[in-house]
Amino acid sequence: MSAPEAERLARAALSRLLEPGTLKHLRVIDQLGAQTVCEALLAEREIDGLRTDVAERLAGIDPARELEEAARKGVRFVVPGDDEWPVVLDDLAGAEPVQERGGVPVGLWVRGPLRLDEIARSVALVGSRSATTYGTAIAREFAGEAARAGQVVVSGAAYGVDQAAHRGAIAAEGRSVAVLACGADRVYPEGHRDLIEHLAEEHAVVSETPPAGAPTRLRFLSRNRLIAALTRGTVVVEAAARSGALNTANWAGRLNRVLMGVPGPVTSAPSQGVHELIRVGAATLVTTGSEVLELLGESGEHLAEPRRGRSRPRDRLSVRQQQVLDAVPVHQEAGADSIARASGIGLMEVSTALHALLRQGMVEQGGSGWRLAAHAHT
Amino acid sequence: MPFATARTLSLHGAVGHLVDVQTDVSPGQVGLTLVGRPDVSLNEARDRCRMAIVNSRLQWPATRRITVLLSPADLVKRGTHFDLAIAVSVLAAAGELPASSLEGGVFIGELTLDGGLRSVPGVLPMVLAAAARGVRRVFVPEPQAQEAAMVPGMEVIGMRSLAQVVAELRGEEVPEAPPVAPMSGSRLLAWRGAERREELDMADLFGLEDTRYAVEVAAAGGHHLMLSGPKGSGKTSIAERIPGILPDLTAEESLELTAIHSLAGALEPGDGLLLRPPWSAPHHDASKASLLGGGNNAVRPGELSRAHAGVLFLDEFPLFRSDVIEALRQPLESGEVTVARRDESVTLPARGMVVLACNPCPCGNYTANPRSNQCQCREPQRRDYQRKITGPVADRVDILRHVVAEDRSGRNDRFDHRDSSAEVRSRVEAARRRQELRYAGCSWRLNAHAPAPALRERWPLTPEAEERVDMATWRGELTQRGAARVLRLSWTVADLAGLDRPGLAEAEMAVALRLGAPLMVQALPRRAG
Repeated sequence: MSAPEAERLARAALSRLLEPGTLKHLRVIDQLGAQTVCEALLAEREIDGLRTDVAERLAGIDPARELEEAARKGVRFVVPGDDEWPVVLDDLAGAEPVQERGGVPVGLWVRGPLRLDEIARSVALVGSRSATTYGTAIAREFAGEAARAGQVVVSGAAYGVDQAAHRGAIAAEGRSVAVLACGADRVYPEGHRDLIEHLAEEHAVVSETPPAGAPTRLRFLSRNRLIAALTRGTVVVEAAARSGALNTANWAGRLNRVLMGVPGPVTSAPSQGVHELIRVGAATLVTTGSEVLELLGESGEHLAEPRRGRSRPRDRLSVRQQQVLDAVPVHQEAGADSIARASGIGLMEVSTALHALLRQGMVEQGGSGWRLAAHAHT
Repeated sequence: MPFATARTLSLHGAVGHLVDVQTDVSPGQVGLTLVGRPDVSLNEARDRCRMAIVNSRLQWPATRRITVLLSPADLVKRGTHFDLAIAVSVLAAAGELPASSLEGGVFIGELTLDGGLRSVPGVLPMVLAAAARGVRRVFVPEPQAQEAAMVPGMEVIGMRSLAQVVAELRGEEVPEAPPVAPMSGSRLLAWRGAERREELDMADLFGLEDTRYAVEVAAAGGHHLMLSGPKGSGKTSIAERIPGILPDLTAEESLELTAIHSLAGALEPGDGLLLRPPWSAPHHDASKASLLGGGNNAVRPGELSRAHAGVLFLDEFPLFRSDVIEALRQPLESGEVTVARRDESVTLPARGMVVLACNPCPCGNYTANPRSNQCQCREPQRRDYQRKITGPVADRVDILRHVVAEDRSGRNDRFDHRDSSAEVRSRVEAARRRQELRYAGCSWRLNAHAPAPALRERWPLTPEAEERVDMATWRGELTQRGAARVLRLSWTVADLAGLDRPGLAEAEMAVALRLGAPLMVQALPRRAG
């Protein structure tokens, strides 16, 4: 099934006309439908703040040609109602705006073979552009593990953590999606041309901004809400106090997605933002890829192994036996009565315990009493 | 005339002394006395010289008393290269040669009983010392003429036998003689280690981006480096590739290094000047003498000196004997080795990069990451091992890196842009050129060797950067020595980035390099995409 052609054209025109992520506009379109909004605008009617001077510009847009040109660049336009439309994005309709950005996008411009309705099982990995080698190594590792478990790794193709997340997923032969702030036919940052072109060839590059659109500061904020909305959960790997990754984290929280944070040294500036998220209880601390998978999965799926220290022979002893063992001298042998005095336990019980310990090889019996066995010193 | 003087040299470490061999031939009790503190091998020169002269069909003053003085007489003299000078001075004193023909020349060579000349170690440093004292003419065994000719402005006369030398001095036609045997001992095995290393390239390694950068910084500024990491994480692979990113030696370094190798007798005829930085990787059983220099007789340069201007790689560093580790302290700091003996003290240059590699624990499997830790060692064992690493030697190492093996997906990362050794080398060369310009007229060439007071006074960091370093010192992250190293590292980081003065970012990077902390990805040469 796909959306009616007239609706698609209307949405393409509005995508070109309006700044992505402007909540006011998107809400109207969501309520009235794109076609009605277009018609109303063209009729130069005043609707809820959409100024009539925009009508002039709208009249100048040829949506059919837009779509044709986009198709020539390998870019398709996916709108609500299409089979490919990721319905999770509809959650944006109810979410509170962040910095006046918000709303369900009029459509998404997509380049690449990966279909957006196939990315229901997905995770976003985001973080600072000014990351450390620790952050990028962790991002690569987590992305690899998530990708091997069949998750699509979504990120923003930026320097630092973003590129590491994509690379980790690709190296693990998994799938990855880049959501860009510029048009899906463009490349930003230029240094990641090879990476983004590869994603467009074998995975998908997605943008709310129509082709040829420039990556402006505002569009990064609008873009971040899509990264959070497209995925089940967001992992923040390294984010300094004012990082854009925190904006994505904020969105994940508003959209009731799972928000996860990877800790770093408390002295590390690039981890400050993550630590704050964890400290206020917004994000769950994760330290391995499998912990991420556990949080993303259905209940009972991907359960992570609980952490345990290595078990030691002492762990198997009863409390009484441990108490006795503590009182057994290391080198010089001591009689059972002296051990009983030192441990504060009755003599009968002590000698029972000592014989049990002897069977387990924890103590040795010599001519004049008991002492620890050589390997039980630690 | 019953008296003549020939000149030769005596080596004490890399210092050469000009020695006068004075011979008096006069009536008296028949025999030859050699005075002036000769050692055993030199005492044997009496017999070698006599037989060489007789077998060269020259006249040995057999009916006279011959006195040979090696002056200055208080200097201990060792080696066999005095033979030629003794022989010609005896001949001149006996009237077989005009005494004036010996003037202005220096004679180096060992004699055989049939009058042939043999090669001797240390020709290059001897000729260098002679040149420094104004000598312009030198007689050496033929295979070593090339080595001697490396000294500019020197007239080198390569000879095969005593008879040839005498003919040359008399101004007669030089007779034929059988070719001189090269230095005793030859390579029985064609060892191809050096060739294998030349084929190694940085582009072969995947991942390890912070270690690669650390190695680049170390190479650019001549900094000592410690690589710590579990078995198989790539420590040796990356260390072996360091010579490949070092630029060719400067003319000065090349002469110094060739002189050291000549002293060690490690120079093959036909090797010429050593132009590439040396690599030396002694096993951890190495003795103090083999590493630092020494030996029973003359002081021979150790591995540390033979790696001068190159790389000394000490793998499994904590397994070296503790006295060896302790002895490294002074050379790491000063760039020279001093071997003190009962009656002499010899100083050799040792200004190479020292690369230490260590496992995190005796079994080599420990990692701080609880997921991948497979260490079987007991806690006290690990502590003992760590103590060897973190001692005073570690404080003298500029850069610390924890090498972590890349996981299996690292191999498939097609966007891991891996610079080749040639690319890295060109950046290192550019950074070294900046240092050369900055330190023109100073006694050091590289940032690692710049004295901290000079840096603080003449080449300070920006105020914010200095504040950052002060803060790290105040917090106890850096020792005073560590702070000085951070200053030097900051300059190298700036030199690699082509900056005129290190700022906050460079200081941050230097602190992270010093402490083994993760590095800011943005500051690394761009590898992604």
